[in-house]
Amino acid sequence: MAKRITIDPITRIEGHLRIDVEVDNNAVSNAWASCTMWRGIEKILRGRDPRDAWLFTQRFCGVCTTVHAMASVRSVEDALKLEIPLNAQYIRNLILIAHALHDHIVHFYQLSALDWVDVMQIPKADPAATSKLAESLSPWTRNSRNELKAAQDRVNAVASSGQLGIFTNGYWGHPAMKLSPEVNLLAFTHYVQALEYQRKALQVVGILGSKTPHIQNLTVGGVANAIDLDSQAALGMDKLEMIRDLLAEVVQFVQQVYFVDVCAVAAMYPEWFKIGSGVKNYLAVPDLPLDSRGSAYDLPGGLIRGGDLAGVKGFQTASDTAFRQGVSEDVMHAYYQGDKALHPWAGETEPAFTGWDGEQKYSWVKAPRFNGEPMQVGPLAQVLVGYSQGHALTRKYTDLAIDKIAAIGGVRATPAALHSTLGRHAARAIRACMLAELAQKHLQLLVDNIAKGDYTVHNQPVIPSHEVQGVGTHEAPRGTLSHWVVIKDQKIKNYQAVVPSTWNASPRDRAGAHGPYEASLLHTPVARPEEPLEVLRTVHSFDPCMACACHAFDPSGRKIGVAKIL
Amino acid sequence: MRTALIGGIGNVLLGDDAVGPYVLRLLESRYSFENSIELADLGTPALDLTHQIVGLRALILVDSVSSDEPPGTVVLYRKEDILGIAPTERLDPHSPALSECLMTAEMLGASPEHVLLVGIVGERFEPGVPLSDKVRKSVDHAIAAILEELQSLGYFFQKNCSPQSPGIWWGEPRDLRAIESQSYE
Repeated sequence: MAKRITIDPITRIEGHLRIDVEVDNNAVSNAWASCTMWRGIEKILRGRDPRDAWLFTQRFCGVCTTVHAMASVRSVEDALKLEIPLNAQYIRNLILIAHALHDHIVHFYQLSALDWVDVMQIPKADPAATSKLAESLSPWTRNSRNELKAAQDRVNAVASSGQLGIFTNGYWGHPAMKLSPEVNLLAFTHYVQALEYQRKALQVVGILGSKTPHIQNLTVGGVANAIDLDSQAALGMDKLEMIRDLLAEVVQFVQQVYFVDVCAVAAMYPEWFKIGSGVKNYLAVPDLPLDSRGSAYDLPGGLIRGGDLAGVKGFQTASDTAFRQGVSEDVMHAYYQGDKALHPWAGETEPAFTGWDGEQKYSWVKAPRFNGEPMQVGPLAQVLVGYSQGHALTRKYTDLAIDKIAAIGGVRATPAALHSTLGRHAARAIRACMLAELAQKHLQLLVDNIAKGDYTVHNQPVIPSHEVQGVGTHEAPRGTLSHWVVIKDQKIKNYQAVVPSTWNASPRDRAGAHGPYEASLLHTPVARPEEPLEVLRTVHSFDPCMACACHAFDPSGRKIGVAKIL
Repeated sequence: MRTALIGGIGNVLLGDDAVGPYVLRLLESRYSFENSIELADLGTPALDLTHQIVGLRALILVDSVSSDEPPGTVVLYRKEDILGIAPTERLDPHSPALSECLMTAEMLGASPEHVLLVGIVGERFEPGVPLSDKVRKSVDHAIAAILEELQSLGYFFQKNCSPQSPGIWWGEPRDLRAIESQSYE
């Protein structure tokens, strides 16, 4: 007899994702991903000036304000066929990279590491042995016995207080926890250090964007950063040097700590390379434009179907015709009126709530499809489309990860093993290393371009009165983000955001095909149904964030029942 | 050096959830504060709130909350109230992050000494609607609570003789007029 487990909510950050699974013989036999909030913020934008849209869209979500601002200005620029000055591209790229580095670090340490790390084992660790182990893994200079001991003391203080505070929700002592006390201590020490380094990444966003959350420096046509090398009020040498110093520290943390820790966890949980694959169609858009027209990019995009890496199809530009034409949103199992799968430019957002019914409608998330098929998006999609197209930077860090995992655990993973829960974590760490390298490259590109005497940051937009439409994309930390705008009479006629978590958390479509979260959970082993740690591991590996997938919250203030078994 | 943070929390696009950023902008337009006080529209932060609050002496947040009290009621919460909430349960729409961030700061030994959450019970949270009348009427009570806290902690501020427009950019024009007349009262 299958047991039904409802997990609500599963995200540790703001958002209201609900997961229902049926567990039969200690494995998941059916799964539903749903969102409990209504989506409809886009309607606010109708009738507004398209040049203002980004200020509103960056309020979609509290965590990824920056990415929605960027996709929005890009959508209007695409509609207007507006080129962006080089300085503006580089400044935007630096902001996007710094935001993504912050996000990836936070995701691994603060949002998912405790699915793998058992904090309650830490008091048993020997700091000296831990330090020795750490030195064998990485040249990181903050792995000393003293630093590790200080972290252990923090855990001891919390554990002995009788109130677990921040650690209240962990499944401590769960049979699926396998790390030694020393590895647990090492990972936790880096959990504490990660708080410092993600902050440094955000400081870069703040310096260039003037404020974070909610950057203020964007404008349709470029950025509003005045460049003057001698002025402290403008973007000058002192600020550029400050960014260089901050990035150097973040890059070191990503490459010597985050990447190494993910490889170590992967080496010690190799069975998780075989769990959690699900949808093997992958979608990523090119990003980090290198010229003013957006014809060359530092991050490749493309499409993989059915896990066929050799059959990858690349996208030439961030608004590639194949991408523009391929996207639709299906509402067969979502709480919206209508039964057609609509292209975002013709998209509708008219609610029709029915209550949760796994056979009929059960989610506020629409089901985005690409040429009718579900797609997995996120760092794994980006790494796989890059790797399979022979992208040098992707290959460099993917191969490095495979070597490192083999060196630690003795098991040699293949790129195909990346279709998994661990694959998503590994891909995020690989992508973080790529971005770390690209951060320094784009800072240098900016400095060199300014040194040539180019201070241009903005091209004036001209909005026609006839109807135009555009798509703005960004390969965001959680995957492909696209904003779709229709402009008429110089005002917004329609606006739709197709966000990464909508792709991944999508419900079934008219053909009954599962979305990626749902598909990835099938066959997952569950040792203790009342503590579904394994389900959490897979869902967390996607980095779920439903605040923008659903765009509103349930104001009822109801208590949340975690892991309720029916 | 920054020792106090007054943070407005909430989504400005969702009706009464905008009240945190709204109150913050009224404060900015009506008063001047000593340099050690930072005022910030924090939006709807998740765990990135942690790095905003570590090392502070005083943290004052203003946010919409869900409560059994009627809409417009101003409810004050202290550090113990927030820390007493298990991280998965919600005091308000953002409490998972707030309590987790405060717990993280506690663990790091860098938690603010004084914490005040000025909660305003909201009525409606639909996208694109202005503040409800009940919530709008409670704004001055919330401001008074914030100023009282600052005063009791010995911080300096003064009323501006000619307040500037509070810059509520997300509202409709008719809302802006209402706000401006309010700020010149």
